[in-house]
Amino acid sequence: MLELVEVSKVYRGGKRAVEGVTLRLGAGLVGLLGPNGAGKSSLMRIAATVTRPTGGRVLFDGTDVVADPGALRRVLGYLPQDFGVYPNLTAREFLSYLAAVKGLSARSARARIGELLELVNLTEAAKRPLGAYSGGMLRRVGIAQALLGDPRVIIVDEPTAGLDPQERVRFRNLLSDLAADRVVLLSTHIVSDVESVAGDIAIVARGRLLRRGTPDELLASVAGQVWEVTVPPAEAGAMRARHLVGRTVRTAAGVRVRLLSPGPPAPGAERVAPDLEDAYLAVVTGQDTAEALGKGR
Amino acid sequence: MRPRVLGALAVADFRERVRRPVYAVILLAAVGLGYLAVPSTGSHWVIVNLGNHRGVYDSAYVAAVTALAGALWLFAGGFYVVRVAIARDGATGVGELLAVTPLRTTEYLFGKFLSNLLVLGSMAGVLVGTALVMQVARGESTGVDPVALLAPFVLFTLPVLAAASGCAVLFETVPLLRGGLGNVVWFFLSMTVMIAGQSPSAPLGGLGMNLFAESVKADMAARHIAVRELSLGLMYLDRPPRTFVWSGLDLTWGFAAERLALAVLAGLLAVVPALWFARFDPARRAGRPAPVPVPDAVPIAVPGPVPQAVVPGHDGASGREGTLDHDEAVAGGGGFEVRAVTAPRPGGAAGRLLAGELRILVRGVSRWWWAGVAALTVVGLLAPTEIATGPLLLATSVWPALIWSRLGTQGHENGVGALLGAYPGVRRRVLAEWAAGVVLTAFTGLVPVLRMALAADGPGTAAWAAGTLFIPSLALALGVLGRTHRLFQALYLPLWYMVVNAVAALDYIGAVRAGGRPAGPDPLAVAGVAAVLLATALAVVTFRHARR
Repeated sequence: MLELVEVSKVYRGGKRAVEGVTLRLGAGLVGLLGPNGAGKSSLMRIAATVTRPTGGRVLFDGTDVVADPGALRRVLGYLPQDFGVYPNLTAREFLSYLAAVKGLSARSARARIGELLELVNLTEAAKRPLGAYSGGMLRRVGIAQALLGDPRVIIVDEPTAGLDPQERVRFRNLLSDLAADRVVLLSTHIVSDVESVAGDIAIVARGRLLRRGTPDELLASVAGQVWEVTVPPAEAGAMRARHLVGRTVRTAAGVRVRLLSPGPPAPGAERVAPDLEDAYLAVVTGQDTAEALGKGR
Repeated sequence: MRPRVLGALAVADFRERVRRPVYAVILLAAVGLGYLAVPSTGSHWVIVNLGNHRGVYDSAYVAAVTALAGALWLFAGGFYVVRVAIARDGATGVGELLAVTPLRTTEYLFGKFLSNLLVLGSMAGVLVGTALVMQVARGESTGVDPVALLAPFVLFTLPVLAAASGCAVLFETVPLLRGGLGNVVWFFLSMTVMIAGQSPSAPLGGLGMNLFAESVKADMAARHIAVRELSLGLMYLDRPPRTFVWSGLDLTWGFAAERLALAVLAGLLAVVPALWFARFDPARRAGRPAPVPVPDAVPIAVPGPVPQAVVPGHDGASGREGTLDHDEAVAGGGGFEVRAVTAPRPGGAAGRLLAGELRILVRGVSRWWWAGVAALTVVGLLAPTEIATGPLLLATSVWPALIWSRLGTQGHENGVGALLGAYPGVRRRVLAEWAAGVVLTAFTGLVPVLRMALAADGPGTAAWAAGTLFIPSLALALGVLGRTHRLFQALYLPLWYMVVNAVAALDYIGAVRAGGRPAGPDPLAVAGVAAVLLATALAVVTFRHARR
């Protein structure tokens, strides 16, 4: 069990990145959603022991990992949003080095690296220097290193950035599989990344945890409030000014607008089933109407 | 060239540089240099030696010696400060953004030259301020003459700094000189210029020393003071210098024209690379692993039925089961058998960690470097013992300088720290990195120590062993502290050069001999310094980690 209790982070200069966030994470995948600059990466770095919080505690199986990060690091797989590699090493050499840093035995490291390279589709390229890899390939190397030590806790920050659609699907399913008996924390600002695999979603904005719940609970919070209406192009701007607009599509008949509104926003508007993006928008803009849904659970 | 474009380029780049914390350190160094140039009355150290004399500390004299010190040391050291203007644009990606604008290559290069000059010029500005403060603080003459104060900086220092700025741009655009080799080449080139630039026959006024020397000589002769020597550097005198009143520089239009010509030539030096500068085209970039096209998507076997994304901890009512998004419908989804992966077991990893650090240290090193090691080995085996344990020992003590400079910096410079921050055993990694440096040092210096051992030269062997511990410790400490390989390169080469010039007190490797024995410090003392440096590196890493 990984617990973040009233965690805060204030950077030098006074910027408050995280404010009083409490998250309790057991086995399973939690999707951390939030807009750019919401404090997701700071929160992920705190959870991964890379950054010390300025307030609150981080506990792993009851051990305070701010004071003793080793307890978590031995069983942690972490993929940061941005990371570098040694460009002259091959993928196999780089992973072998990281396995030694983790203290894995030579034999198990060798076997595991081969299997992980296969898992992330890099066997063919494993002998090439990392400096010659594309961004997506490097991201896959990052995924492989996160799984090196058979981690009990996996923390991945924007892991699908740079991956092609097939790889994104593969990786999401891999995380879903791993989450069967491990703690998996996945941070992203792409709603579809968590929509398909996370049964538990936490939404953060401005450094605070705004909402936590299952996808169904989040959807319920905006049930009956999502509308679609086609308006002349000249009226689309006014519609944006009056309502929270999620999507607009230009069609031959005009502009098809999808928006959130307690009542019909215009004559002819159709009420439609909400999706997670609607719920997410409602939460981050403070327009959701549901009562607290397991907030800070 | 469009002045507005040049101005915008130079100012933006200058702003980017001065807003980094290291800029404050650079300015402090300028203050320190200004302080050194005007030593206290009883000091034995001088930067300008006029045969055990010096001028009274009035505006003219204080400004002239401070400006000459600036010309001398900012030329050599300032280059290292400004030589990454283009590299930074490459690393940040700004270069590629600029490359697709209508900006001309000559404008870009000249803008970088101006930005370099602004940075170095700001250091010269700090020197002017320091000179003024020092004149008042020393109190020998309280009258401030603004023209006498500014003129030496404008005529001595700025043209020389322009030359360093132009050279920095040139070095950055020449593939061979772009990296650490360029730093080494600059060290020797700047030493040559520092010596030759003081000569009366130096072109375009050299460092300005000759004009100053002529004026000083005339004044001293008028006061019947014998002029034995005039030199610029950092020198120790047996007794504090005596003073005389110097009448100031006798500036001529001809000298001013020469200095202007030097600045113009420096600017030309910066724009000449437009003939070959690649404008950040990665396909034409050298010095990094070639970006060979690698087939990105190894064909992925179309997986079988999509496994349901069952999330533990949620039953079917609240969890979302078996829902597919568009991507999954297209790609087919999962197919991973992650549990088939071999379970990792803990085990002894020290040897592999060391091997990994060694690999990181030397991988990518040119085969010419290895050929150099082979040549030194052969020469060392064939040469007489006094050569093998003298000049050859010195050669093996500088040949790996660029590789040593990687110690303590690789993780930061390659951005690997973001990954390793969540890995255990931070001190173990640092120790393994240090050990890799020791192994490399011992390997390259193996032949001299073998020859010492064969000659039963115990003191020499002990000095070598201490030096073998000292060099990687110094590199690691400087790398960890500065987080850049340039710091070691800039400090180690002068240290090595001192040893080459037989400064026994600084001989860390046992190359300076007296009566057949190493004349340098006790090997135990050198090893002790090495231990302190290693401990410093460990402490800094631990402190940073604790403050994460």
